[in-house]
Amino acid sequence: MEIAVLVKPVPDAETRLRPDASGQELDPEGVKWVAAGYDESAIEQALLLRESAPGTTVRAFSYGPIARAEEVLRSAIALGCDAATSVEAPPGTPPDGLAVARALGLAVARHPASLVLCGKQAGDDESGIVGPAVAELLGLPDFGVAVNVRWEGGIERLSIQRSVEGGLEGVRVTLPALVSLQQAWNDPRTAKLPNILKSRKAPIERIPVADVAAAIAPSASLLARRVAFRLPPPRTGAKMIEYSSPDDAAQKLVRILREEAKVFP
Amino acid sequence: MVDFSLTGEQASLRDMARKFARTEMAPHAAECDRTNRFPEEIYRKAWELGLMNLNVPTEYGGTGLSLFDQCLIVEELGRACAGMTTSIIANCLALEPIILGGTEEQKTRLLGSFCASYNLASFCLTEPSGGSDAGSLKTRARRDGDHYVLDGEKCFITNAPFASLYTVFATLDPSLRHKGIVAFAVPRDTEGVTPGKEEEKMGHRASATSTVRFEGARVPVANRLGKEDEGFSVAMRTLDQTRTPIGALATGIAQAALDHAAEYSQRRVTFGKPISEHQAIQIKLADMAQALNAARLLTWQAAWTIDQGERGSLESSMAKCFASDAAMMVADEAIQVFGGYGYMKEYPVEKLLRDAKLTQIYEGSNEIQRIVIARELLQRLS
Repeated sequence: MEIAVLVKPVPDAETRLRPDASGQELDPEGVKWVAAGYDESAIEQALLLRESAPGTTVRAFSYGPIARAEEVLRSAIALGCDAATSVEAPPGTPPDGLAVARALGLAVARHPASLVLCGKQAGDDESGIVGPAVAELLGLPDFGVAVNVRWEGGIERLSIQRSVEGGLEGVRVTLPALVSLQQAWNDPRTAKLPNILKSRKAPIERIPVADVAAAIAPSASLLARRVAFRLPPPRTGAKMIEYSSPDDAAQKLVRILREEAKVFP
Repeated sequence: MVDFSLTGEQASLRDMARKFARTEMAPHAAECDRTNRFPEEIYRKAWELGLMNLNVPTEYGGTGLSLFDQCLIVEELGRACAGMTTSIIANCLALEPIILGGTEEQKTRLLGSFCASYNLASFCLTEPSGGSDAGSLKTRARRDGDHYVLDGEKCFITNAPFASLYTVFATLDPSLRHKGIVAFAVPRDTEGVTPGKEEEKMGHRASATSTVRFEGARVPVANRLGKEDEGFSVAMRTLDQTRTPIGALATGIAQAALDHAAEYSQRRVTFGKPISEHQAIQIKLADMAQALNAARLLTWQAAWTIDQGERGSLESSMAKCFASDAAMMVADEAIQVFGGYGYMKEYPVEKLLRDAKLTQIYEGSNEIQRIVIARELLQRLS
């Protein structure tokens, strides 16, 4: 049983983002790259499935500039993934979900898996394209917004809980399939220190960049190009309320909301 | 050439420790401080993640980190809660005499159990009548066949109420001074070994501290660490290894104090602008940042020196002494930046001052550190 997990490098939430000189991209200087949050849920889900199905192996895949991709793959290995494949982004490729899906699709096809897991979207561009697009390219059924995935009587079938409007939906799926995760029902684990040390020396397979470029080429004319990358304008107008007691603070706040902000009459 | 950048491995160790500190330790720091609670569930989790026993070599099941890497981790833990950090790293201190003085058989037998499961150990050197003057300790060891019989009392022993093993220093004959001191590994369940009640401390309240009494405690000769006259040397070499991480812990406290002060200074408005725009506060922040940076660099240099295989007494004493003084200064100034709020327990900075104070005292008081520094300095000059 093989499980593939797709992991996107995104800037750490504490990174101070700023545009580069071109005004079209994030300035990568000093950015720490970490696995996207929902992708961490996908890793955790893959490891839990492996724990309940001995003999299963989990391979993590990441697309991007090589150093970035390998950094998040090392953290995936530290968490417990068995193997990793980095998919180098050909320089100048637009940051388009379809390009990423074609690249990752190529890599996953070289390591056939019964189950492909990924986050439902990444915390940087929030576009949510890659999972469904990889499923389409590999001809897999796609189940999105899963919150819990379990084996259903053996390793041929999965029972999936999906988050839907107002509640949860239960789905039973015969593999192969692609499942994209929302927040896992249990928190992603923390890597153990000895595993971090081992992960730094673990081999990471590389897909040659020429192969990646060839895989993306059929969609070249379709890819969205980023026109500008700007920070939101600085927020202004914060107002500190001086008060003598909680009651006083509440009264002043209500007065401001009513008379100045005119939030309610 | 000199290079202050961390390797990818070091950065990931630091980040892992930072994450643990933030998510597991920091949320409970104020509560444990208030209630004097020993949060064993946090220590157990630290053990599970490999954050305890950092100094135990890999051949005995430990992670065998360099002292530099240990310091990176300890600083991050210290930033979240100094008391918890003291309890987490107490095993390093207690097990170091076994690493330095133990035989292969002792290392395999004694260290292995700490790496295989969660267990605490305590380093028992200080006595009610003195800590700095270790040469005149009073706990007696008497040879009796294939055992030694221990009698005496140790005090201010970290983790003692919860430990399963004590590394104990006792004298065969007080008149021999340093030459009479022997080191032992003493299981807690040895008859005649009794930890006392937990002390109420000013700071480091998430850590447990008590006395340990030895009354006719019979310890097999197989548990003697080193030769009969080597105990003092084992103790001193242990402290040479563990002093530098105290510098890292103090650096963590200073970093926390600066973080809080800098953040608060940008929120707090007086005379129509954030206090961070007043020069009086800027000068404080600048002085705090300089002390912090110098503390970290001295700690890094000491760790690096020892990792090169040198004893590093001078460097580690400088690191421990300077960083702990810096932590006191920075925590003190952080309270001043917070003004009246800083004096309130509702805010996090007064705890930092109480926690910082101990780093000037334990693992060799700063007065002793200065004596060591001067002695080493003068020796090198002569």
